Amino acid sequence: MKKFLLNTALLSMIAQPAFAATGQANTSAIVMFLVFIAGTMVITWWAARKTQTTSDFYTAGGGITGFQNGLAIAGDYISAASFLGIAGMVYVSGFDGIIYAIGFLFGWPVVMFLVAERLRNLGRFNFADVTAFRLEQTPMRILAASASLLIIALYLIAQMVGAGKLIVLLFGLEYKIAVVIIGTLMMIYVFFGGMTATTWVQIIKAVLMLAGGTLLAALVLMAFNWNPDAMLAEAVKVHPSGAELMAPGAAVSSNPLNALSLGLALAFGTAGLPHILMRFFTVSSAKEARKSVIWASSFIGYFYLLTFIIGFGAIALLVRHPEFYNNLDLSAGSNNMLTALIGGTNMAAVHLSNAVGGSLLLGFLAAVTFATIVAVVAGLALAGAAAIAHDLYANVIARGRSTEKQEMRISKISTLVLGVLAVLLGIVFEDQNVAFMVGLAFAIAASANFPVLVLSISWRGCTTRGATIGGFLGLTFATLWVVLSKTVWVDVFGNAEPISPFPNPGIFSIPLAFFSIWFFSVTDKSARAVKERDAFTALTVRSQTGIGRSGAQDH
Amino acid sequence: MQDTIVEKVLKHPKYAELVQRRTRVSMAFFAVALVIYSGFILTLAYMPEVFAQPLGPDWTMSVGVLTGILVVFSAVIMISLYVYFSNKIFDPLLDAIVRDVE
Repeated sequence: MKKFLLNTALLSMIAQPAFAATGQANTSAIVMFLVFIAGTMVITWWAARKTQTTSDFYTAGGGITGFQNGLAIAGDYISAASFLGIAGMVYVSGFDGIIYAIGFLFGWPVVMFLVAERLRNLGRFNFADVTAFRLEQTPMRILAASASLLIIALYLIAQMVGAGKLIVLLFGLEYKIAVVIIGTLMMIYVFFGGMTATTWVQIIKAVLMLAGGTLLAALVLMAFNWNPDAMLAEAVKVHPSGAELMAPGAAVSSNPLNALSLGLALAFGTAGLPHILMRFFTVSSAKEARKSVIWASSFIGYFYLLTFIIGFGAIALLVRHPEFYNNLDLSAGSNNMLTALIGGTNMAAVHLSNAVGGSLLLGFLAAVTFATIVAVVAGLALAGAAAIAHDLYANVIARGRSTEKQEMRISKISTLVLGVLAVLLGIVFEDQNVAFMVGLAFAIAASANFPVLVLSISWRGCTTRGATIGGFLGLTFATLWVVLSKTVWVDVFGNAEPISPFPNPGIFSIPLAFFSIWFFSVTDKSARAVKERDAFTALTVRSQTGIGRSGAQDH
Repeated sequence: MQDTIVEKVLKHPKYAELVQRRTRVSMAFFAVALVIYSGFILTLAYMPEVFAQPLGPDWTMSVGVLTGILVVFSAVIMISLYVYFSNKIFDPLLDAIVRDVE
């Protein structure tokens, strides 16, 4: 019964379009949620007084420590998608859920060994500062802003739709109201508190999420006398896939290239996600950036291990609670435990918390999960505001002649616009299959931002012409490929046959971007190219030593 | 101004050593990460039967699940080792350069 396709797996990471029922309000969830909101409002009020300059707004004045930043990054990662989605995937297909977790995690060694410290030494507010360091401002900023805004829009839709559905189930609210609440909260955090508020909300949420996840996993293991293998044995016994749960699914082996392609995009996409890269400018030095990565990857890795326990534990334990299902049928050959779970398989972790910890733990996790989405959405909006105000407005339209006050005003207006846009997109795409959006976001990040970033800082020969053409080719190819694949061409547009042979473009689009940056750089004989190659020495000195860095710290 | 600082750094005897050693170390780590990750992905894509085997006669846990867990640990261990190298080797070199130049 492993029909679960890797390419459609992302679907279950966000929300399934049709949740079975509107949930009832859970009192403890609402109380804890209100407490969380009150706490974050205090933080926002405190942060607002410290947010005066663009540096405060985009990067919290560079005053975040490595440990704090590591927690904030982990917070961005331990999103509702990771927690509910990966636990849900493990619940449905066991081992296949682990593949995603490892893909997301392996983005971190890539970030650490290739970009983290150099990024901090070269940039000020966002990664476009780095690509535009020695290459020409206008084309590099336009490229970075286009790719970033596309990635952010796709991510926003996925988060808004996922969150909206979740709230419908957990709090018994109407979908549109839920989406408006998220949008409003996000706008308040970002508009008044900027990066300081966003980061602290993210940190608090990450700590709560780690604590809640630890408790949940411990309660599950306790039910099996702390023996993980006993838990797995029970899971295999009750799951319709049986022992196949422990192996890669048929979908993976039937289309290994797609699996490979997905793996590439997941691992290299992280180093191109604008809202993640932006966090590296909130710390004071390359050394702190390094510390951020070690903390972030430790927390993320730990959390994924918890998620595996939670996912397998849900298989083993939920079937003992028929109240979580619509007419649970455990007869042989029935896969009803997968299809009849109230709220869909994304809710496996939520039901599990109710099963092992009662409504108090359920309420706690529900509130934290909601908080997670608001925090992630706030980080996305901030990265979007930076792309609009810092890249497009200050450096392209005003060509560096705008004042800091003007840039700040534009970024605040952008935040409001992005907030309204997020709400509208969430409502418009309510019943859409949003699966392809996260996949596409990672594919674009890996095929446009990542190659341009890496080559511009580590290869002397890289020129503006090469980076621009290569970046846009990667961006266009990845987007078209996904649009022509089954997830969009067939499932959204209703055509009979997909044009792309499989949904994940990474295996072609990433090499294409690298190759075209190389090709159009080496054939670039212009005077500008010569100057850019010469400027590489100065870039290397700065990226290696940090000497001459425009300090983002205000203390 | 800027140029003279760059030239000073370039002339510093420890600068070339720093760049060379750091590049070598990060490339080596990157290569190991790629081998581990692509080994995992290639195995599950092309040799799923390897991952399907249980660890032993009395085990439910498969080779694949255990490998997955170890791969998670490997990522964190690699990053920790890299930080250790950076703190021990590169930071002293870097501090020496910054002290001399500024």
